Amino acid sequence: MREFLKSTRFKIMLSFLAFLVGIMIYAVTKGGYSVSSVSFINTMTKPVRKVTNGISMKFERNVDKFNKADEYYEENQRLKAELGELNKKLTNYDALVAECEELRKFVSIKEEHEDYILSVPCKILGYVTNDPFRSFTIDKGSEDGIKPNCPVVTAEGLVGITIEVSKHVTTVRSILSPDLSIAAVCSSSSADTGIIEGGVVAAEEGLTRLIHVSPAHQLKEGDLMITAGSSGMFPKDYPIGKIKSIGYDSNGLSVTAMIEPCTDITRLTSVIVITDFSGKREDD
Amino acid sequence: MRLRTTREQRILRFKTVVRWLLYYFLILSSFIIMTSGTWRKPILLIPIPICIAINNDQYASVFTGALCGFLIDISCNKLFGYNAVILSVSCLMTSLLFELYLKNKFVNYMAITAIAAFVQCWLDYKFYYQIWKYDDVSRIFTRVSMRIWLYTMISAVFIFLIIRFINHFFMPKAHLSIEEAINTRNQQQ
Repeated sequence: MREFLKSTRFKIMLSFLAFLVGIMIYAVTKGGYSVSSVSFINTMTKPVRKVTNGISMKFERNVDKFNKADEYYEENQRLKAELGELNKKLTNYDALVAECEELRKFVSIKEEHEDYILSVPCKILGYVTNDPFRSFTIDKGSEDGIKPNCPVVTAEGLVGITIEVSKHVTTVRSILSPDLSIAAVCSSSSADTGIIEGGVVAAEEGLTRLIHVSPAHQLKEGDLMITAGSSGMFPKDYPIGKIKSIGYDSNGLSVTAMIEPCTDITRLTSVIVITDFSGKREDD
Repeated sequence: MRLRTTREQRILRFKTVVRWLLYYFLILSSFIIMTSGTWRKPILLIPIPICIAINNDQYASVFTGALCGFLIDISCNKLFGYNAVILSVSCLMTSLLFELYLKNKFVNYMAITAIAAFVQCWLDYKFYYQIWKYDDVSRIFTRVSMRIWLYTMISAVFIFLIIRFINHFFMPKAHLSIEEAINTRNQQQ
């Protein structure tokens, strides 16, 4: 041992160790930056390390898949169930939002027309099978205060009239039907009046017609037609639809206009029935 | 005549009950399909009672026809009983025709269904639209009535297959005793 401590080999090793300590101290003084040699090595080996690291990670992932297959399977199942729950909640939430929006609209009807007595909002049960004029049934009936010949509306406009009322279901005739005639007036000029009445061709496109208009009219496309309220069956000044096109009827004597209803009659989800309003005609 | 054993009678009764339950389940399902959605749909409740009438006696046929007719009246919002009358008569005639003159074949069934469905569509057009003389009313016949008739005829093929499937498993087979078979053979000779 004493011989080794005195040997040149030991001195060389000691010097090398001192050199390393010196490098270490030098590295410390660099204040966080690596020494140039380290930097050089890092730069040189970077692409190789990148590739090897990629391979290594891939390999580890594959091995991990086999090792933790059961764990992942369970986690997957749990996440699937959670996703299902969340989707269910989201669907309910969307339905609630839609319902809330609709109810808000119905509230606005009452705010605008204080004289109206409204039914509770009615859901559409379904359209009458194969009816070309889009009659439909709603989920409220006489027990909810609905009577025959009550106007049926949405917040946007008039939809139709109740024709057949049972305890819990009511059939509604839409404004696309030629069996329903409504006195109408133009919202911008009260001199332009006519009758809203459905037609076979118009109903095919989800439109209705304005008939018996004077040839000296001042109607133009886009004018809003509202109820005249003269018959006592419909409340006054309720929107029906906008004029889409104007022309003459088949006999060429009076003007006929195609009316696009304010509400899309073919895609209703809920409506409200006006059971009473000021000026309503009382049936005998 | 060969008497059925108690076990055979029980099986017969069970099969009959199951068969009619399946018939009425089919009728109910068709009614639900007819009343849902906004598209034009086939009148599924026409081929069903016709197909049932082919294999059953007159009482059952008329009753089923009336029931299906009432359901059509509800779904199509027609005068309650209007279609019931049409279908009762159609089913009675179908049952009699197949008992006396026609063989239980797909072609015959389709022919009878085509006639019954056409009569129903035509009367519907006559009484509910043409009678009121709407403008361009004939378009309803060509664009609605005839299209529905066509849809009904297409659906009739599937109805036939379903009911044949039900009958295959639950329709009791006719039993002939040896004496009856001999007598039938003698009569034929």
